[in-house]
Amino acid sequence: MSSGAYVKPKRHKIRLMALEAALLLVALLYLYPFYYLFESAVKPAKDFYTPLKFPSKLIGDNFAKVFERVNFPLALLNTVLVCAGTIVLVVLVSSMAGYMISRRKERTFQLIFFLFLTGMIIPLQTSMVPIYKLGISLHLINTRSLLVLLYTAGTIPFATMLYTGFTKNIPRELEEAAHIDGCGRTRTFWTIIFPLLLPATGTLIVTTLFTFWNDFAGPLLYLTDPNKMTLITQIFRFKSERASDWGPIFALCFLCTMPLIIIFLFTQKYLLQGMTAGAVKG
Amino acid sequence: MRTNHMRSSYLHALVFVLPALVIFLTFVYYPFLSSLYYSFTLWDGINKPVFIGFQNYRDLFHDTLVRHAALNTLYIVVFCAIINNPLSLFLALLLHKPLKMKSFLRTAFYIPVILSMVVVSVIWGNLLQYEGVVNAVIEKLGMGALLHDWLGELSTALIAVILINVWYATGYGAVIYLAGLASIPTEIYEAALIDRAEGWTKFRHITLPLIMPSVTICTFLGMVGSLKFFDLPYVLTNGGPGDATSTLALVIYDFAFKNGTFGYATAAGILFMVLILLLTTVQLRYTRRREVEY
Repeated sequence: MSSGAYVKPKRHKIRLMALEAALLLVALLYLYPFYYLFESAVKPAKDFYTPLKFPSKLIGDNFAKVFERVNFPLALLNTVLVCAGTIVLVVLVSSMAGYMISRRKERTFQLIFFLFLTGMIIPLQTSMVPIYKLGISLHLINTRSLLVLLYTAGTIPFATMLYTGFTKNIPRELEEAAHIDGCGRTRTFWTIIFPLLLPATGTLIVTTLFTFWNDFAGPLLYLTDPNKMTLITQIFRFKSERASDWGPIFALCFLCTMPLIIIFLFTQKYLLQGMTAGAVKG
Repeated sequence: MRTNHMRSSYLHALVFVLPALVIFLTFVYYPFLSSLYYSFTLWDGINKPVFIGFQNYRDLFHDTLVRHAALNTLYIVVFCAIINNPLSLFLALLLHKPLKMKSFLRTAFYIPVILSMVVVSVIWGNLLQYEGVVNAVIEKLGMGALLHDWLGELSTALIAVILINVWYATGYGAVIYLAGLASIPTEIYEAALIDRAEGWTKFRHITLPLIMPSVTICTFLGMVGSLKFFDLPYVLTNGGPGDATSTLALVIYDFAFKNGTFGYATAAGILFMVLILLLTTVQLRYTRRREVEY
């Protein structure tokens, strides 16, 4: 905590090592469910109810069954489409809005910002029925576009806040110089400001990606066509169909989680920043 | 000429904000305002809604299902707050020390955050079943009397759900507390050292007041998160056994999409929002007042 301020006695060092060992043990316990997920995906069914023994052998049958019963590539494609669509849309509209809200002093813009913030407290359960109806009347029910629009709308408050904050650190002189050189507002934004907002965009992507990928309520309510289902809804459907054939269910869960773990390991630094940035302003 | 230029640039500025505003109003505010209207109607989602005034709200107060779900939700919120929060803080205090494996430890504790609640349900549903790992360990330790069908028994199901959430969310809270701890200037600790403030005294009088902003945020996020509990009880237990783990979010979903009582469901949704507003406002007031400047 206050390192370097005084000389650490030896006892202190030993205590620190003991603490480290204890924490390591707890951390491994914490990670156990991840190991269990992997183990259950690769062990034969007959070993399933002797949970503490190591699998008698490792098999790929569970994965084969998944690919037989579930159109995994299609579900993956749907998930990627929904995530990518949402990210593109939310980055576009929120960066523009956040930038302007930060730059303009008029009441209108502050009011719009406030409106966005109040939207954060409305839970899905309050509006899920009208959203369903809206989806029908806009002919968007059972489409991936509806999910994209819903996620975008739900992320606009946080994203706009993020961009508003980041814009404050960009000097105005930059825009004025561009203006003098004959650059219009729109071009100034896209060629000068937007690239400078890239760190905010990165933070936004890594903090929200997991939410979009993992969302269950949205597809459950507004998607019925199996061909449009995302990975998470496929797990749920698969689980309901094959009540106690756990091996393949775990294999599917493993396949759906792997991409997230990989993304997580590469982006955890930025994820941390995003989590605390979102929290500090929450 | 000048005012004209200003006007056009004002309109131009509005154009920047417009796409976000339109999407937001269409998919957040319009549904919310229609909910307000539908909550006063008798409506099955197919026929025309019939205005019935406050009838839905009156019925909600006498609905035992709702009362039970509200109680469960409150239990979850309160227990998550009083278990997760101190645990996160404790973990953060330990992880803040100069440990060698710091980065591995942090990763290990906050990685559950990336899991989908559906996957969490599949994993923990199996760990906690009668033939599952948890019971196997209990038996190995020679405590056979403690064996339970954790999610299938009335007395333990809610506790199990709360503990799963502890596993899921403690690391997330710790990350926020770690950020709070990192922002405390070291001079303050050096001053404390001169005053011989150590251990509990140091924590109570220096660390805790200074990280109150993190406490505010952690409690807020935790409360909102647990109030909205839907995926976990829906996939894990579907509210059962009986209605031991049913939550408000879950019964509202059932009212709308199982029973087809859309008007009633929206009224419950509105009440749900009011409850969230009330609880979080009280909490924010309470913890904000304890924040100090430095």
